[in-house]
Amino acid sequence: MPNIDRREFLKLVGAGGVGAGAGFMLRESKKDPTEYLIPYVVAPEDFSSGIATWYNSVCSMCSAGCGISVRTREGRAKKIEGNPSHPVNQGRLCGMGQAGLQVLYNPDRITEPLVQTGDRGSMSFEQITWENGLDQLADRLELLRAARRGNSVSFLTEGVNGHLAQLIESFMRQLGSNRLLHYDFDHPHTLYAANQKFFGQDHLPYYDLQNTNLLLSFGADYLTNWISPVHHSIGFGTSRQRQAEARGRFVQIEPRMSASGAAADEWIAAIPGTEGILALGMANHIVSQGNYQGVDRADWSAALSDYSPSQVAEQTGIPESTITRLADEFSETQPSLAIGGGAAANHSNGVDTLVAVNVLNYLAGNVGREGGLLFNPPPAGTVSRPHQASYRNMLELIEAAHQGEIDVLIINGTNPVFTLPAAAEFREALAEIPLVVSTSSFFDETTVLADLILPSNSYLESWGDHFPEAGVGFPVGAVSQPVVSPLYNTRATGDIILGLANKIGMSSTIPWTSMEECIKAGWRRIYERGDTQTLAQGFDEFWTALLKAGVWGETTNGSTSFTPDQSVIDSVSVAAPEFSGSEQDYPFILHPYLSPNFHDGRGANLPWMQERPDPMTSVVYGTWVEINPTTADELGLIEGDLVDIESPQGQLRAPVFVYPAIMPNVIAMPIGQGHSEYGRYAKDRGANPLEILSPQIEQITGNLATSATRVRIVATGRHIDLVKTSGTSRDLGRDIVQTTGGEGHEVSDARLNSIPITELT
Amino acid sequence: MSLFSRFMDGWRKYRKPGYYDEFDYHWTMTVDLDSCTGCEACMTACQAENNIPLVGEEELAKGREIQWIRVERYWEGEYPNAKLNFLPMMCQHCDAAPCETVCPVSATYHNQDGLNTQIYNRCIGTRSCAVYCPYEVRYFNYYNHHWDSPLDQQLNPDVSVRGKGVMEKCTFCIQRIREAKDLAKDDGRRRVRDGEVQPACVQSCPTKALIFGDRKDSESQVYQSMNNPRAYKVLDELNTDSSVVYLKKVDA
Repeated sequence: MPNIDRREFLKLVGAGGVGAGAGFMLRESKKDPTEYLIPYVVAPEDFSSGIATWYNSVCSMCSAGCGISVRTREGRAKKIEGNPSHPVNQGRLCGMGQAGLQVLYNPDRITEPLVQTGDRGSMSFEQITWENGLDQLADRLELLRAARRGNSVSFLTEGVNGHLAQLIESFMRQLGSNRLLHYDFDHPHTLYAANQKFFGQDHLPYYDLQNTNLLLSFGADYLTNWISPVHHSIGFGTSRQRQAEARGRFVQIEPRMSASGAAADEWIAAIPGTEGILALGMANHIVSQGNYQGVDRADWSAALSDYSPSQVAEQTGIPESTITRLADEFSETQPSLAIGGGAAANHSNGVDTLVAVNVLNYLAGNVGREGGLLFNPPPAGTVSRPHQASYRNMLELIEAAHQGEIDVLIINGTNPVFTLPAAAEFREALAEIPLVVSTSSFFDETTVLADLILPSNSYLESWGDHFPEAGVGFPVGAVSQPVVSPLYNTRATGDIILGLANKIGMSSTIPWTSMEECIKAGWRRIYERGDTQTLAQGFDEFWTALLKAGVWGETTNGSTSFTPDQSVIDSVSVAAPEFSGSEQDYPFILHPYLSPNFHDGRGANLPWMQERPDPMTSVVYGTWVEINPTTADELGLIEGDLVDIESPQGQLRAPVFVYPAIMPNVIAMPIGQGHSEYGRYAKDRGANPLEILSPQIEQITGNLATSATRVRIVATGRHIDLVKTSGTSRDLGRDIVQTTGGEGHEVSDARLNSIPITELT
Repeated sequence: MSLFSRFMDGWRKYRKPGYYDEFDYHWTMTVDLDSCTGCEACMTACQAENNIPLVGEEELAKGREIQWIRVERYWEGEYPNAKLNFLPMMCQHCDAAPCETVCPVSATYHNQDGLNTQIYNRCIGTRSCAVYCPYEVRYFNYYNHHWDSPLDQQLNPDVSVRGKGVMEKCTFCIQRIREAKDLAKDDGRRRVRDGEVQPACVQSCPTKALIFGDRKDSESQVYQSMNNPRAYKVLDELNTDSSVVYLKKVDA
């Protein structure tokens, strides 16, 4: 369970929590301060010169949904910190979350509604009024709706949940369209599918990292990007800081060492795509050694018969002794936990791999117990989770566009021209759509191709709410409130939709005039369900307490017991992964990974993130290709040599970084750079490995198998100096990072300052 | 006593750990290397809190970055047994600080709280302190850096912006310490309570690897932490008597 337990958490929320402000109304702050010699004769209530006001809200930089507290001074946002009462991040926040300030104050924001006057992509935008912009779109939508062609309207949004998701859904239903797609490049489709298949649950369980004694991670970079990285980091830290004998052990299995791999006690490289086979090999050993005593023991034994450790050793490239050692350790350590994701899940066999990980958890008795995997109760409130679009769904949209079935495409906050491989031909599909509308606040690769731009606020200027996807073992919801008044003539996405709905005449089903009203009405429904455990008297008090605390939760539990069906047991198997490109022509497997700094590329326009060294390589402002030292030697490559990476789908150029912890036949590249647009900080920097990916699909989910592309390396003979902040990457006997043995943590008896001072004579 | 022997006398005394025992507070940080994951949340927190300028790619290529706290990385071993260790490095606030003795204008000095402080408008930019600092944590402004408007609206009004020719470095977020002291005074308390001051990096750390506090308070978290048997100081053999204590990584 998280550090904040339910009772303590509810006390915080009921009492009003730590926040200070509720709802920012400071319109005047838009004006230049020099216009006022005395800024205010009567200052707004929450404005005291020289004293900071904090607002609690929700981070929108990734889908984890951490609570934030934003420090404002004189109407300007100064710093983002974690909200201490939010159980997901408990006051902590990652670097990208803190850099949200540079989304708000980014110099490249779109400040006015714009209409394209020239050819698409020609950047000849002309400023229009909101009235005009909304009319242009609403007129078109109304015509289509009247002609019963509402289904030719498609709404493509970044993954949103909460009441904005409901609003969009209801808007599209009124239009008569079922083409609503939530698309995030990094959505863990395979994880959802695997949990559905094995546990029969359509939401993710809670992975209790904090209390586990042994964590086996199959490819999941849980400290950087997997589901809820800040929450996992808190768990990791807590586990590390337990008393010496209870210190948790972490094992990471992946072809290229990630940040989680570096933090782990043991890092193991299995042949890419065989992680699931490895898990089943361990499962086989657990059952055959009699370490699993369930009644369905015989069924498991039969289902796993093809995965004896010796067979698995051959397929995964991991010694049999390691497999049996890990299996014994996993079943003997109580509680233990296995998780899977990242590259391991991004193969053609992704879902089966993650089912195999669940099998391990089940056989070791980790399901439903503290320190293992706990089922989350249904999400907080009454807000349903929208379905997320897979790569296959995106291809369907692209196909529909080519068939002329799409008349209007509205894109909100997502950038598929950048995140879909060139082979998907999304850019070409856009050309077939008569009207493309973007609500982005930046000229990203997709938005420059729009006919009409209705720019949305940044999340720090908007009302919204968020119900964290993975949960924390009990349902949580959080309200996002504006912390500064909008800098520019932009509107919140919700307000844009409300404006359209109003013009088209949907007021019977969508009665609200502002997003604030819509959110408040939604939370009134949650409050009035009657089972809200709060000390508040009446909705107004509840609402004020909610805004102050920024977060709210319920005390329901998920179920704790689970037994798999016979059919599930029988269906357990992991096929060998499929790669595109022959091994002969393309000897290397490309391993693209989400950049710790830019995530899927959305962070590339933040100067703090550009100048922050990559944690593993210390490279700034660029892209690189990670190559094993031996391979680099064989190819005669050194750091900084420019190489062409060629896949069956295309090629790109990047400098070499010799990376000590990557398999010899794997090369890795960070995702995030290589923007051709997206503002001054991101544009024309590095390369985007997603462009050259082969469209290999995971069959069950239709997810893009991003780790299944084979490539070859062609040296160009050119060389650049990689810009990075660290000098030598080795300690060279200076003993800067000191370590101490594991067994009982015996430490040297050297005391601080024990070295005698040389007397000057 | 000759002038020279008086100087030597003072020098000998000064270079001894424990020379300063009259501090009001003795601010100290501990860094648990076993918990640090190298995520660099501390770096962004510091940039935001302390108005640290971005120097751009060209200047970075010349090694002119400004990062009051950075995460150093040290590889150990070769594939498949390669390991990567992280080490957050910031001004160590040495009590026998090599940088303090070399400044010709006394722009850097020790204050009553045991902090190694930098007086920006006294600094004339000789960069001697940066040469003498064994931790390489002093950063020089080679230019007047600017913030593309409206990024400047984010600047923290509690921290001054440094201009060309000025050396800068970690202050342990002295503005936060001052604020906490003021609050304590307003409350009629004599001292700041443990946990009341957290520098930006400590506040943000997702694994709670960083702990900050007053080591004169034996009840404080940082006091407990620095008496952990894993405690050591980086480059301790130089006798800098630093105020940042690292806890060894456990190699299990």
